[in-house]
Amino acid sequence: MRPPRRIPLAIRVAVFTILAGLSLGMTAQASHAQATSTLPKSWTGAVAKLADEAAAAMSPTVVRLDVENTSSLDVAHVGLIGAALREQLQRHSFAFGSANSTATQSPLQLLLTLSESNTEYVWVMEVVNDSGDAASIPMMMVSVSKSALTEAEPGEQSLSLEKRFVWKQRERFLDFALLKDSSSGQILLLILKTKSLDIYKPSGPGWQLSRSTPIPQMAALPRDSEGTIGLKEGKIWFKGFECVGDPDLTGVVQCKISPPNHLIVDRTRIPGLPNSLGTLVYGECRGETISVYSGEGDWTQTDFLQGYLISLNPFLAVAVGDAIQVRGPVISLQSERDTSAARAVVHNLTTGEYEAYIVTATCGN
Amino acid sequence: MLRRHAVISALLIVGFAAVPARSARRPRYGGTLRVEMGASVASLDPDVTAATPEEAAAKSQIDSLIFDQRNADGNFAGAAGSGAFRVTAFEAGKRAVLAANEEFREGRPFVDAVEIGMGRGAHERLVDLELSKTDLTEIAPQDARRAAEQGVRVSISQPDELLALVFAPVTTRPNTAVAASANLSGQALSLAIDRVAIVNFILQKTGEAAGGLLPQWSSGTAFLFPAAAAPTAADLTHAKELWKEIAPSGALVLGYDSADPLEQSVAERIVVNAKEAGMAVRAQAISGAGAGAEKSRGVAGQATRVDLQMVRWRMTSPLPGDALKDFLARIYAGPLAGVEVAAFPATASPEDIYQQQRAVLNTYRVVPLVWLPQVYGLSARVRDWKAPGPGENWPLADVWLDAETPTPTGIQ
Repeated sequence: MRPPRRIPLAIRVAVFTILAGLSLGMTAQASHAQATSTLPKSWTGAVAKLADEAAAAMSPTVVRLDVENTSSLDVAHVGLIGAALREQLQRHSFAFGSANSTATQSPLQLLLTLSESNTEYVWVMEVVNDSGDAASIPMMMVSVSKSALTEAEPGEQSLSLEKRFVWKQRERFLDFALLKDSSSGQILLLILKTKSLDIYKPSGPGWQLSRSTPIPQMAALPRDSEGTIGLKEGKIWFKGFECVGDPDLTGVVQCKISPPNHLIVDRTRIPGLPNSLGTLVYGECRGETISVYSGEGDWTQTDFLQGYLISLNPFLAVAVGDAIQVRGPVISLQSERDTSAARAVVHNLTTGEYEAYIVTATCGN
Repeated sequence: MLRRHAVISALLIVGFAAVPARSARRPRYGGTLRVEMGASVASLDPDVTAATPEEAAAKSQIDSLIFDQRNADGNFAGAAGSGAFRVTAFEAGKRAVLAANEEFREGRPFVDAVEIGMGRGAHERLVDLELSKTDLTEIAPQDARRAAEQGVRVSISQPDELLALVFAPVTTRPNTAVAASANLSGQALSLAIDRVAIVNFILQKTGEAAGGLLPQWSSGTAFLFPAAAAPTAADLTHAKELWKEIAPSGALVLGYDSADPLEQSVAERIVVNAKEAGMAVRAQAISGAGAGAEKSRGVAGQATRVDLQMVRWRMTSPLPGDALKDFLARIYAGPLAGVEVAAFPATASPEDIYQQQRAVLNTYRVVPLVWLPQVYGLSARVRDWKAPGPGENWPLADVWLDAETPTPTGIQ
């Protein structure tokens, strides 16, 4: 048996520090994201409206429904929408036949087109039978918010990265964290911006701004500001300075010039791993270390998060499982304490908004 | 096992990955971005009015770099230098040099300076790109494919500029025989025009056939105004029948901007299409029309009689409701002047937007032809350039220069 390699003291100290940090610290994890296998409520309502309009425009008859998807909706959602519409039409006493039906009445052909504008999904139902009656039936159109899908989007499975939506806003933010308020026991959402730390409290299904703490600027603002929240330390680190909360980050924030922090420093490229944003994730899989990396595109491209397993002897980093796609560049990726997860901030290129996700890595069959 | 994990962690942590990785995507500061424009800006003084629409557009681009805010009218305002850059040198009509504003509210730009060359012709700009004498310049849509084939790195926006035909306003009441005749002319012409051929051959596939007043990516309902097929024999027959009903006294005169090679090519193609449908249409160059000058001037008021004119309308917003409002304002001040305007809801639904378009297109006084994207040529070292969308300006504060990593050429 090969003797274990002796670890230099400096490395041991570093490992101890980091792993100890990983094993302690933040307690609460919460997300107001919805992850369901059914349609969002507003979408179900839109489908029902289409069926209502169809019932108002024509008498119940035998119909055939074709669904054409020209939008970015995935196959699963398209199937759910088609099934929901069929169900709603049946409630209005429409019967379903096929093109080859032997029934005396040939089915009226309905075409549901799932389209999208730059802000909404637009669903249009038309009667496409080539008959005079069909021409008199008006087109039916409904629209639904895309954000409903963003909030309900189920995490894509694989080596098993799963993303859970937490927050989005128009203004750029650098990092976020979920913190259990020691006095009230509430979960607070911290949003770190370049000039302030915004603290949100739960309010119904969402969040309500509780306070915004200004962050004193210790240097000229760079365009690619970086910052990260250290809940356990009660600190915020920026490039060149750090801020301490008094008594914690929900209180007053004071800043001072500081040497480069280990979370905000440049590094060299690691062979076998992408030249992109990445972070270690607490825990291991197949006895190997888990890490998560983004793609190598620039800030004008959509992006993805990919899980890697890293072994040492020989040094090998292997992408394992499917990547999960995001709708814009990942601009920040930080490890979450105490759990196999990372915090990701994504700039959604479709909506222009910045979105916060908790990305959980699960090792399983 | 734990020890092995610790060793890996240690290597990653101490060596490199304890930290969020810094990558090629991380911007770098420094360098001078060289930009070339076709237009010449005579003055950056806000009180000096631009002589041409092209100059106004170029001045607006520079203003967006040196001013922090816009007025309610959309013009940039405030103190010069409050924006991402400040002017350090200016030669009227020839050259402007801008330096990064270290104190810019949204953070210092990545590049140290922007050097803008003005009054460069389209061919000169392409040659300069190929010779790496410039980093960024506009390319005509019809030249995009050729440029890419020649190794130029090309950036193409979503199609946001409508090339269309607009008929001269009918001076009599809309429900008169004259108006009806004009509408039939539009319908016949719309049936006869081969938009697919315009896209494939003139635009070299850099564009989309247009049937509606908004592109599919913005409205989501453009597919309800089908235009992506060549005219059928039935279409041409129908066009001939309509043309016979009109019995016009002479050829329709189609005006186009004499300085716009694309408009000229499309106009000539339409003349051919019309002839195939038995219609008489004559293309007429109009000098000084310029991009957008119709554009403001409209088809009326030309020295030469013009029955219809080609226009290029750029969307002012990616939001379909806002963009359509702007187009409707032009339409109801031009080809549909005097026609009662239907109420446009403040928060228009996709169906409202569809119905508004349908109302205009049913008059056939506006005939959409194609959607054009904005095309830019980039040097290999330009990073984080994103083609600006409708209502946006060049995002030069976000652009950075990478002298180390060559970038593949081609269309992006």
